[in-house]
Formats: sequence, structure tokens, C-alpha cells
Amino acid sequence: MTHTTANREIIAENLVKQYGDFKAVDGVSFKISNGEIYGFLGPNGAGKSTVVTMLTTLGLPTSGHASVGGHDVVLQAAQVRRIAGVALQDIGLDPIMKSMELLTIQGQLFGVSKRDSITRAKELLEIVQLSEFTERRVGKYSGGMRRRLDLAMALVHRPEILFLDEPTTGLDPASRRDIWTEVRRLNREYNMTIFLTTQYLEEADELADRIAIMNKGKIAVEGQPATLKAGLGRESVNITVRDNEDAEKAAILLRDIFDKVQVDRRTVRLYRQNAAQVVPAVVNRLTESGVETISLTLTQPTLDDVFLQVTGQSIEEAQAPAVPA
Amino acid sequence: MATLAQTAGLKAAAPSPERSMSFFAQTAMLAKRTLITNFRDPAAIFPPLLISVFFLLVNSSTLSGAASFFLPGQSYLGFIVPLTIISSSLSGASIAGQSIVRDIERGYFDKLMLTPVNRAAIVLGPMIAGALLLTIQTALILTLALLMGLQPNTGIIGLVSTLIFATFIGISFAGFTVGMALFTGSAAATGGASFLFFPLTFLTATYVPFSLLTGWIKTAAEYNPITYPLEAMRALLNTGWDTELMLKGLSSCLLMGGVLFTFAIFGLRTRTKRR
Repeated sequence: MTHTTANREIIAENLVKQYGDFKAVDGVSFKISNGEIYGFLGPNGAGKSTVVTMLTTLGLPTSGHASVGGHDVVLQAAQVRRIAGVALQDIGLDPIMKSMELLTIQGQLFGVSKRDSITRAKELLEIVQLSEFTERRVGKYSGGMRRRLDLAMALVHRPEILFLDEPTTGLDPASRRDIWTEVRRLNREYNMTIFLTTQYLEEADELADRIAIMNKGKIAVEGQPATLKAGLGRESVNITVRDNEDAEKAAILLRDIFDKVQVDRRTVRLYRQNAAQVVPAVVNRLTESGVETISLTLTQPTLDDVFLQVTGQSIEEAQAPAVPA
Repeated sequence: MATLAQTAGLKAAAPSPERSMSFFAQTAMLAKRTLITNFRDPAAIFPPLLISVFFLLVNSSTLSGAASFFLPGQSYLGFIVPLTIISSSLSGASIAGQSIVRDIERGYFDKLMLTPVNRAAIVLGPMIAGALLLTIQTALILTLALLMGLQPNTGIIGLVSTLIFATFIGISFAGFTVGMALFTGSAAATGGASFLFFPLTFLTATYVPFSLLTGWIKTAAEYNPITYPLEAMRALLNTGWDTELMLKGLSSCLLMGGVLFTFAIFGLRTRTKRR
């Protein structure tokens, strides 16, 4: 398939968003090339959605510069809206309307004729498997169906750049896989640049050419998933013990064998190169000290490990709602 | 799952950057959408209509006998119908505001903001839909009044003029509820705001002619913008065409509309201002 040579880059240069004394986004810079899928990760409150808000023209940066498809997000917001499709984290669909009505309205607002917008709506409903539900009000759709319709809404004007803010949150595994397949196809067949925020590391690993992990308003690490994992350079031994007290004890017992030790409730994670070679020594030392091992696994570095190292918390902890101080 | 590869024939044309829907077409489409949502979920339409009809029936039954003292030779029905219409216009004016609040709460407003739609169309669409619903509501009240024996002094022209006055009043107050919706994004605040204007329907010649008012209530009625369209409609239905009253009624409507529409525009600017 031939691709147009349109500028489909997304560029952020020292982007800052400040609310009073609080910097939600603190000097974020990146360059996303034509046709790249860019995964944007981070704990809740890291500033991911604020970045999306600025790039999609819903919010203004306090300072810095950003462009989408060569258009300045502040000065050329209308042009940005024309070439960008956006599926936000909060699905903005009118529950009283029907899918066909919403899609045709959306199409016409983007300048597609009524007849073409109907044809396009039918195509998209077929793609997102909602063709059989056009007579049902959106309010009667399941969460997964609403997510799929929201994706269709973002695609109605054939955008060159697509922003997906946690597009598979709340979906069952099968629906998630379907969305992944479509995201890959959109990227491959239309050379669409895709900015993907997600709370699923597996999703980022599966889809993204490059990822960035945000923490406390800054990009803590950026690169290809394989490079980031390899950069850790060490395997991990994960030991689950009977209780938190044993976990602390195990961490103290084993810390001289490993480069890094982390305790997460009853689980101890131990990192070093060639970790497999020291497993017998680990088992012996724990047994001799009376620490009962419930399970022991040896894992290659994953994005979870990268995330943990960068943010200091596991993805599960990171997803917990922030508690106000 | 069908795929984009399978549907890549691209039957539907992609939008060109130069092509866009006209402002009027956008407004009409969004007005149509508001009408659809209100007809599918008519909770906002029927209560004001039913309350207005209730008061029309009760007032005409209980006060029509006594009215012969202060309305010699005139129909009490023709006297009370304009008040009923204004009351229903005030309560019905919240339709536009509530439509916008619903869109804000459900995130659809943001979805619209991500399109190249003219921002004014997002507000005007629901306001026009609200005005159309008020016109239908008023037509129903007038039909009921005709069935109850109303004989408008100015005939069909009077009925049409009454409809126009009702629509003007409704769209003016819709400006206020839309403004509140845009400023607050709150259904409760928008719903409460429409009640702020209810005292206006009592601080005027509510149950007796303006000429019989005295003291502070007369002063209040003179400053009350509702008084003038009310008097104009009463003339249309009861005493006959009075150009001075018509002009005063129309001027008052335009003044209210101008002020409240400006309020809505400020609300729109505040809501759509990027921060």
C-alpha cells in the first residue's frame, strides 16, 4: 500500500504544564517519527493525560512547544484537529444516541458529506464489530462496545495521527487483542503515527516501537522496549515467602549475592546477571535460616522490571488511585 | 473481526482540509441532535408543560368568576393564558442548558471540541432546539385554550404573534440557562438557575390587570421585563392590536435576549478557553 508523504511527526520540546506551584508536566521532550507507535507509560498522576490534553489541543502548555503533523498545537489548533484522531480515556459518547448517528455527525463535522459519512460509519461499525447493534442506544452498550465505538469515532475522518489514551482499559482479553490487531493494521497499512498511553505494560511491549515512562511529570526513560529490557542487563529471582516478616529476613540474608533487592509484601525480587547460577545457593541459605519458600521463579527482564526500576513501584501499585496528602 | 485491510476500498471520501460544513449546517445538525435526545428522553419536556396546563385549568376554574369585577367584558382565559405561556417558557428554557450540561458531564462536549466545529454552533444548536420545543409547547397550550373556549381578539395573527413572543422569551431565558451550564458544568446549578426567574412571574400583573396594581408591586412590575410581553400577549388575545404595547413587548424581549445571550457568550468563552 502506498503511503502519503505527509508530515506525521509529533514533537514536544521542553513541554511544561504548571498548576499553581505544582508542575504536572516538567520539561517533557520527545520526537515521534512518521508511522511510529509510541507507548507512553507511567503511574497514575505522572502527567501522561496532561501531555495528551496539550497535544490534542484541549489544554495549553505553560511553556515549551509542541507540534502535531507539523502544526503548532497552540497556534494551529484547528489544523491539528483535522489530522488527528483522539480516543480519550473518558469515553465521551452520548448514551441516548445510536452509533450510526454519532458517527455520521462526527463525520459531517469533519467535512465529510452526509452520504459519505454514512458509508464511512458502516465501514467503521463493521471494523469494530458493532454492525449488529446500530439500532441500540449507546447507553445500552457494554464498556467494551463503547470503547470500540469510541475508537471508530476517532477514525471517522481518516486521521494521519492517532492519540489513544488507555484504549483497552476495561476490555476483556479477546476484545483487547482485537483492538491491538486494528492498531497494528492502522499503523502498518496507513502509516499512521500512534501515540498510545496505556496502563498495560504487555500492551506497550506488544505494540510500541518505542516507549517512554513518565514519573513525577518527567520522562524517566525512553527507548525501544527490547533495548530498555536489555539495558537492565540482569535476570530476576522472585521469591514468595510465608509473610512480610520472612520477606524482610530473606532480603537481608540474600543481599550480598545480588546487585539489587526489592521487597513487595511477601515477595522478594533479586536482580543480578546470570541469576540462574545462584539459585541453589539462595535455596540453601533460606532453608538453613528457616525461611519457608512458597514459590521461586526466575525471569528475564520485562517492562515491569524497567517500570519498577524507573518509578520505584510496580505497575499494580502505580495504578492505585492517588491518595491526597 | 473485519479489518481495515478488508474495507480498505475506501468507499467513503476522506475530508479535505479545505472542505468544511457551513456554520448554519453545523448549527442545524446539532439542533437536530438535541431534539432527538430530548424526544428520546422527554423528562425535561413534559413536567413544565403539565405544570403549566395544571395551573391554566385551576386558575381559569377558580378565578374566572371573580374576574368579571376587574375584567368587565373580557375573557379571563385570554387574560391567564399569556401568564401560563410565560411560566412554561421560563421552565422550558432550561432544556437548552440541561442539554449542554449533559454533554459536558458525559464528555461529549470535549469530543465536539476535538472536531473543527464552530464553537458557537455547539451552543446555538441546543438553543434553537430548545426554542423549537418551546414553540411546540406554546402551540399545545394555545390549542388547549382554544378548546376551552378562548376566542382571540386578533384572530390567527394574534395566535401567531403570541407564539413569537413565547419563543423570544424562551430563547432569551435559554441564554441564561446555557450560560449557567457553560460556566458551572453542573446540572444542579443549571436547574436551580431557571428558578431564579420565577419571582418575575409574580412581580408583575399576574392575577390582575397592570392598571389595578398599586404601591411597590406596581414599581416592581414597571421594572420587570416580563410585564411588557405579558401585556402585549394579553392585548392580542383579549383587547385587540395595540402597536405601542407590541413595540414595548418586543423591545423588552430583545433587551432580555441581548443581555442573556451576552451572558451565554461569556459562558462559551470561559468554557472553551484553553488553559
